[in-house]
Amino acid sequence: MFTVASKEFSDIVRGKRFLILVIVFGLVMAMAVASVYLRVVQAAQQAGGIAMPRGFLGLAAYNLITTMSYFAPIIGLALGCDAISGEREKGTLKITLAQPVFRDTVINGKFLAAFMAISLAIIIASIADIGGSVLTLGITPTIDDIARLLLFMLFSILFAMTYYGLSAFLSTVSKRTTQSVIISVMLWAVFTFVIPIIATLVAFSLTPPSVRPFQNVTRPFQNATSRQEYERLIEAMRRQSAIIETIQSVTPNYHFNRVAQYVLQAYAGIRIGAGGIGAGGVAQGQAGTRNVSILESLIFAWPNILVLTVATIITFIASYIVFIRQEIR
Amino acid sequence: MILSLDYVIETKELTKIYRSEGKEVLAVDHLNLNVEGSSILGLLGPNGAGKTTFIMMLTGLTLPTSGSAKVLGYDIVKESKEIRKKVGLLPEGFGFYDHLTAPQNLEYIAALNDIPKAERAKRIDEALSLVGLQDVKERKVGGFSRGIKQRLGIAQALLKNPELLIFDEPTIGLDPEGARAFKDLVIRLHKEGKTVILSTHLLFEVGPLCHSVVVMNRGRAIVQGKVKDLVEKLMAEEGYRIRFEGKGNLEAFAEGLRKLKEVKEVRLETNGISLIASGDISVQIGRLAPTYGVEVSTLRVEEPTLEDLFMKYYRKEGISIG
Repeated sequence: MFTVASKEFSDIVRGKRFLILVIVFGLVMAMAVASVYLRVVQAAQQAGGIAMPRGFLGLAAYNLITTMSYFAPIIGLALGCDAISGEREKGTLKITLAQPVFRDTVINGKFLAAFMAISLAIIIASIADIGGSVLTLGITPTIDDIARLLLFMLFSILFAMTYYGLSAFLSTVSKRTTQSVIISVMLWAVFTFVIPIIATLVAFSLTPPSVRPFQNVTRPFQNATSRQEYERLIEAMRRQSAIIETIQSVTPNYHFNRVAQYVLQAYAGIRIGAGGIGAGGVAQGQAGTRNVSILESLIFAWPNILVLTVATIITFIASYIVFIRQEIR
Repeated sequence: MILSLDYVIETKELTKIYRSEGKEVLAVDHLNLNVEGSSILGLLGPNGAGKTTFIMMLTGLTLPTSGSAKVLGYDIVKESKEIRKKVGLLPEGFGFYDHLTAPQNLEYIAALNDIPKAERAKRIDEALSLVGLQDVKERKVGGFSRGIKQRLGIAQALLKNPELLIFDEPTIGLDPEGARAFKDLVIRLHKEGKTVILSTHLLFEVGPLCHSVVVMNRGRAIVQGKVKDLVEKLMAEEGYRIRFEGKGNLEAFAEGLRKLKEVKEVRLETNGISLIASGDISVQIGRLAPTYGVEVSTLRVEEPTLEDLFMKYYRKEGISIG
């Protein structure tokens, strides 16, 4: 397996595709860091001082989550879409399988190589982002920050592997790489753009807003009527949010975002209150908000981590079974 | 090790049925075959005859639907890895990693075969030299012509120094010089005691090299055996074609020959006689000629070629040629 894996890894990291992805991702990261820097400078000029939302993680993590939620699936898809079909088309699969290796060695080697290459890309990108943030913002991450970033990298690798597994499976069942690429990209677009839009539309059609726009209420808690209106609005928003989350939970992207928010404290802390636990973007400083430990973050994120892990394992097993049974003609 | 085995390949009712989109295709149909060691076997037949599927099963790349087979004493289902350790295969429609050079590709093959690192460079050099690719070591395979890639394919099959070599359509893409070099290589491998299987639909390319043949059609072996035996059988069935030239009373000699029980047909020609006999009667011709005042200058017994044999069975099977 290590012979196949090391050759595959070498091919991937020396390939143009990998280089282009890392460069593009690095540039996106650099731009994101620069934009944060400009925002901080702007805020400093306006308010007369720098207001950091959550110290180091507040800025670096925001970049990372946003960029990684696009980059990880793309690198996973890019590496997996021709994993088997490409070898079949080029005829290299025949030469490899004509040697004293079992088919599981080939597919295990490919997954291991993809894991190593994806890890390398994500570590490089994350370090670039963190380094850029440290240099531009002049903030040193704490031990807790570093530990959270390491966990974030680990789960980003898992997220990318979920997409790799999916596209490797498509590559195994597809006769042609073009077919596998088209289906992979379509699935990515559906998970990333279509399902969130559908989820929002469904949520709004099932729970339409039944109150006047909130901004027209000058003092919402002044009388009982406006208070009821406010509560109805909050309840409607909560229901909408629940519907959106339920629908989006079929996508790996949703679970990754949840994990990322928990692990990186959503760049503004995790709100713990009467309504339960939720990631809040502006919760820092609000009543009932406190920082959670890494262990607590992991406990909150556990179901989402499990979903990503199971999805990756299922795609791997499916690819494995199909590949083992496939006829070589 | 080969010598201790009766046959390097033994198949019993070996059958393969492909199932695709609800259809069943019988690729290999209850094939029974024994291949002796240290020989050159021609696996012949038109495209789609089942040759490649048969080879794929022998090397464990495709599982049989029913039946069994052993290669070098190993079961093709349970011990396919052992088989691939000892069998060099040039599959049809193979490819190499275009971004790597020929030695880099072979290095990967060597690693998959667990060839010790210390030996690899030497083995790779030897294999490349055997196929005349010692001068293209620095070039990436992506820039190779089809013929050069074919030679590299042959080199990878030789790399592990196998006991049995199976070449599927080996001369495709080779120029005449390459094809001749390949034939020389096969002869050399045979002299080294290796068993070589040549699967092809281009009989004239490799046919003359073969000691025995299996002619396949629609998954079945329509004829199999040693070339010598098959040719003798064909001659017995169709007769010996004998032609001689000479001077003298050819008409009377022709009449005399017609009286011999072995002679089936006699045709008088300008400077000689051609006839078809059930056996080789060249000695009798030489003895009788003086009695008819005929002086024989040249005599030739025309043996049927492998191609004649092939054509006979093809016609019998209704296979169109060309």
